[in-house]
Amino acid sequence: MRLLCVCLFLLLTLPAYAVSATPQEQVKQMVDGVFAVLNSDLAADLKREKISGTVQKFLGIESLSQRTLGVYWKKATADELNQFMPLYLKILERTYLNRVDDYSGGKVEYGRERVKGDKAILDTRFVSERFDIPVQYKLVEKAGTWQIYDVLIEGVSLVRSYRSSYNEILRKDGFDGLLTKMENKLAQIEKVD
Amino acid sequence: MRLAIFFLFLLISLLPVGLAFAQPSEGVTSVDQEFDDDFDQEFADDFLEEDDTPLISDPLEALNRRIFWFNDKLYVYLLKPVARVYRVVPRPARKSVGNFFANLSSPVRIFNSAFQLKFGDAGRESSRFFVNSLIGLGGLIDVADHYGKIPEKDEDFGQTLGFYHVGQGPYLILPFLGPSSLRDAGGLVVDMSLDPFTNYLTRNMSLLEKAELKAARAVNYLSLDDDSYEKIKRDALDPYLFMRAAYAQYRVAKVAQ
Repeated sequence: MRLLCVCLFLLLTLPAYAVSATPQEQVKQMVDGVFAVLNSDLAADLKREKISGTVQKFLGIESLSQRTLGVYWKKATADELNQFMPLYLKILERTYLNRVDDYSGGKVEYGRERVKGDKAILDTRFVSERFDIPVQYKLVEKAGTWQIYDVLIEGVSLVRSYRSSYNEILRKDGFDGLLTKMENKLAQIEKVD
Repeated sequence: MRLAIFFLFLLISLLPVGLAFAQPSEGVTSVDQEFDDDFDQEFADDFLEEDDTPLISDPLEALNRRIFWFNDKLYVYLLKPVARVYRVVPRPARKSVGNFFANLSSPVRIFNSAFQLKFGDAGRESSRFFVNSLIGLGGLIDVADHYGKIPEKDEDFGQTLGFYHVGQGPYLILPFLGPSSLRDAGGLVVDMSLDPFTNYLTRNMSLLEKAELKAARAVNYLSLDDDSYEKIKRDALDPYLFMRAAYAQYRVAKVAQ
């Protein structure tokens, strides 16, 4: 009931304020959603499905793709981009969904939040019995919500790592080569599961 | 007996030092709407579409890829299977072995913190060493982290060089040891000489025995790891490229700490 009220409130206030939640609230909403699924008694398959839905709401796949492709974003045709984005989303999803089975408790601590214009950096830590890992979120404001476009784990940026590899593949094999490699990878991952 | 009293005294006198450092070194949880000068810099290259500069130069890629292949086989067919069998040893025991080795190499971290004029870190690492050696059964238990909330802070000579603005130089994959760079590989050599306790303990060992000890340490480490290498291999389009990018960024982040 309370959730409903909150939702209703958010819905009503959305047009009034350009941004309804701070970056931290936004990330917390996603993290809480994911943890709720992780800590539930659902079967692994169902967990993955639910988490996928939760996370996708907060990811800016276009921003993510743009930063990953870098120089090649502008060079690519609309058709190539339309092929790239869903593939990339699937690969990213596979990467974090495969971690679902590893989860064995832990919590997220929120640290410093820095906002400037339509960009924000949020520092968090993932703390569990075995780990204490700094995780930094980079967000960009799009259409009234903060969307995550990069995650830095112990200073290693997800997007930058992907960009570095993808750009090298693009340079050597072109866009078709990259798309083929991505398709093959996905087929390979899905076969293992 | 007198020795015991001496140690007890040392311990008591050192405890406040450890506790004084136990306060978290960074203030967190405050929502800071202001930002530093480095804020823009942290965003800078995300929005530069022209940025195509590699994170680290790799003129020896062909050779590196061969060594990468060799390390991969070594890992998949030798080290990992051994580590998997070794996992029958309960986790806390394996953790203790890791702690023991880490504690022995405390001087490396103390020296390198001092080289970088991070005297607070040098002090924390020193108190960690004393507390863990004395109360933590010769380093088997990381008392300083568990009870004193003083976690280990990794410092090595590669980071010290980075602190003084020495660039990473070309990317190198070292046989057996994995990703490195010209700078960090050089740092490794210096760190070995800064490791008096390990050097002392292994002084009578043959080269082969030393290698075996290193392998044992690696196996112990791998037994505690959650198959992170396997995951990179499964998820990345080109694991070599992904690991290179991750290594370059990881080291930059380490130097900045």
